[in-house]
Amino acid sequence: MNQFALQQGHSHELDMFDHIVEFGLTKNGTIQLESFPISTCDHIRIYYITDGKFEWMINQKHQILYPGDLAVVLPGQELGGSNRYLDIGTFFKLQLKAEVLESMGVIQLGTWSSLTESERITVGRILMTNNISVLKMKEAGDILYEMRSEVLNQEIGYSTRVNVLLDTLLIFIARQSTRQATSRRDFPSTFAFLEQALRKNLAHQWTVEEMAARVGLGTTAFTEKVKTYTGFSPLNYLINIRISEAIKLLKKQDINVTQIALDTGFYSSQHFSTTFKKLTGYTPGEFRKRNIAAK
Amino acid sequence: MDNKECIITVELGTNGVRVMAFNLRGESIGSMKGSYPTFHTQPDYSEQDPEQIFITMLYVLKNLLTEVIHPKHYNIVSICFSASMHSVLPIDQNGEPLGNAITWADNRGKREAIELNSSSLGKRIYNATGTPIHPMSPLIKIAWLSRNDRGRFVNTYKFLSIKSYIIQQLTGEYVLDYSLASATGLLNIHKASWEHDALAYAGIKADLLPELISVFASPGKLRKEYQKSLGLHESVKILIGSSDGCLATLGGGVWEEGKATITIEDSGAVRTVGKQVIQDEKQRFFNYLLWENYYVSGGPTNNGGIVFEWFTKQFGDFKGPFDIDHAMENLMREAATVSAGSEGLLFLPYLLGERAPIWNANARGNYFGINIKHEKQHFVRATIEGILYEVYSIGRMLQEHRRIDTLTVNGSFASIPLIAQMLADIFNKPVYTGSNPDSIARGAYLLSAIDLGIYKSLDEAARSIHLPITVKPQSSNHNVYQKYFPIFERLSTKLNEEFEAIANVQQEEYIKH
Repeated sequence: MNQFALQQGHSHELDMFDHIVEFGLTKNGTIQLESFPISTCDHIRIYYITDGKFEWMINQKHQILYPGDLAVVLPGQELGGSNRYLDIGTFFKLQLKAEVLESMGVIQLGTWSSLTESERITVGRILMTNNISVLKMKEAGDILYEMRSEVLNQEIGYSTRVNVLLDTLLIFIARQSTRQATSRRDFPSTFAFLEQALRKNLAHQWTVEEMAARVGLGTTAFTEKVKTYTGFSPLNYLINIRISEAIKLLKKQDINVTQIALDTGFYSSQHFSTTFKKLTGYTPGEFRKRNIAAK
Repeated sequence: MDNKECIITVELGTNGVRVMAFNLRGESIGSMKGSYPTFHTQPDYSEQDPEQIFITMLYVLKNLLTEVIHPKHYNIVSICFSASMHSVLPIDQNGEPLGNAITWADNRGKREAIELNSSSLGKRIYNATGTPIHPMSPLIKIAWLSRNDRGRFVNTYKFLSIKSYIIQQLTGEYVLDYSLASATGLLNIHKASWEHDALAYAGIKADLLPELISVFASPGKLRKEYQKSLGLHESVKILIGSSDGCLATLGGGVWEEGKATITIEDSGAVRTVGKQVIQDEKQRFFNYLLWENYYVSGGPTNNGGIVFEWFTKQFGDFKGPFDIDHAMENLMREAATVSAGSEGLLFLPYLLGERAPIWNANARGNYFGINIKHEKQHFVRATIEGILYEVYSIGRMLQEHRRIDTLTVNGSFASIPLIAQMLADIFNKPVYTGSNPDSIARGAYLLSAIDLGIYKSLDEAARSIHLPITVKPQSSNHNVYQKYFPIFERLSTKLNEEFEAIANVQQEEYIKH
């Protein structure tokens, strides 16, 4: 396959794709010193190795990449050759625009994607939190070759197809990264991994789909596993954690009840109050009063 | 009408809570469980969130009541509690937990335990309290807090167990039963009062501990709010109950001389009951008090079903994600194709260090005797045999003090038919597998039933347990095991220096990563 290099603003092939900064296949035949120093990335970069062996520093970790490996570098992460040069070999390179919402710890993909908004958020969140830079992903090769022929041939419907291929690629990356992050054999440790994520962001309106995606399962299988393992449905298990945290906050006098409700993921103080009372017999206010009385 | 009365049992276990309901004939009429997590924030640390345990317990109890018990119009007579042993939860003056509860599996007090163990004070404390000097014991945990976490230590108003905290939330009282207290390493089990030497070593006075009450005592009534939210009448009696170990023994029907019970879940234990404490020179046994002068004595192993689970996760065939049960069944089938003794492949199961009988936290796993003919299935069987040889070695140690004629097995691992048969063969004794695997809940039910006057004594209550299924030992297999066991036993103590060396390197490397 011949090399090619398309760049936003220079290559008319990318006119229809504002979100693609760069797309190409590079064959590197010689080693040139200082050809690949470490620098910080602005966009999502995806590399797929088809030939050769590369030693890179990605996000301050030394990685060795072989054919079939895919590297994902997120905005703000560093990338470069371990020896500051590019090794001999062939690879696809794809750069995508994406906004990082630091406050939410989320990567926001653009509106070009036909994923639903919640899927987009989940995929972005998975990329941010799993923190896995190198994935074993042979499927990525086929997708990238197909994208190449769509972009270069520009047959009817190509812009839709390219975006669909991009979505597919990102979905595969998210799934594979979850599979690599969790052991498919060890539900307790996978569940502990999820539990940690839930506790870290209790205020977030978690859905079953999102929780399932975080451990790389479909919602049906996920719900069944959680039910067997914990005795609760995923959402009821989440309520356990929420109420436990709320109790701790209620015992501290300096946070008001509405704030506690929101911090622990209840969408209103009314919803908080009803759930709390149903479980404990006290409204949050009564619970707090009882605790002051004890003092 | 009396058949419409029921008894609830609440089991606060290591991984979760199980709530069961029994009618007064002792038949189970409902059961629900819910789990809570254990946090390992540092190596050797093992903690749980007391609020989450409480909420999970309430949630499960409420679900069982509203979905199963209330619709059938049962009249609830009492709620009896059991709990895992050895937990410590410091609370402040307002009853608020100072951080998470420290569970039995926490090993942060390793240094304190080694130090005390080798002293004459340690020997005196063991003789008085019956609890081996080990990081699991609250004695060591409180001593650790007093030396290493002063802030938390000086602000502590009471050192509770998880069960005491739950009971306090429900009734407002700070209490602990003698039975669970006898597993703290702080209670003189001969006098049934706090042991002065132990308190002094831990650095506390008796008023920092909850009030001691009998396993049959009620700490008080359920708070009004919980009566309302759970739909319970104020006459419902809260029974403090006992520990999981003691209740599993009672509920397993093992209550006379010549009987021993083997429990294997993740971890395991061999237990006997007697009216005398076992005084062991080498301090290898626990002696826990159930009631008056009934002592449950035995030895615990860290390496039960959890070791086979580890093996399955690494080497089992998984059809779908997380399909471990299926993978375990298949491995068991493979194990059954190999003859007893695994054709000379031995396994030391010490993946988690070991308590009884070698009491060596540095011990590690080991396959021994591998030859060119051994295949995967030999490793499967050897792994199981290693776990069971370890249980056998606890049993043999107990036999130095107690007669054992028959065995009762319970727990999810030990009650698998293949495992029960292997235990019968290794011990060369008949094995009863209880028809009811929930022996802890059954024990708690029996306590409540005695309290109600259904049974006159613990002996009578224990005799009500029928153990219909017997597995007979096969002497040909026993003879094979007898050839291998002495080698296993010698190996388990021969490697002490190497165990220590490898444990140290593993620790160093762990810290580096």
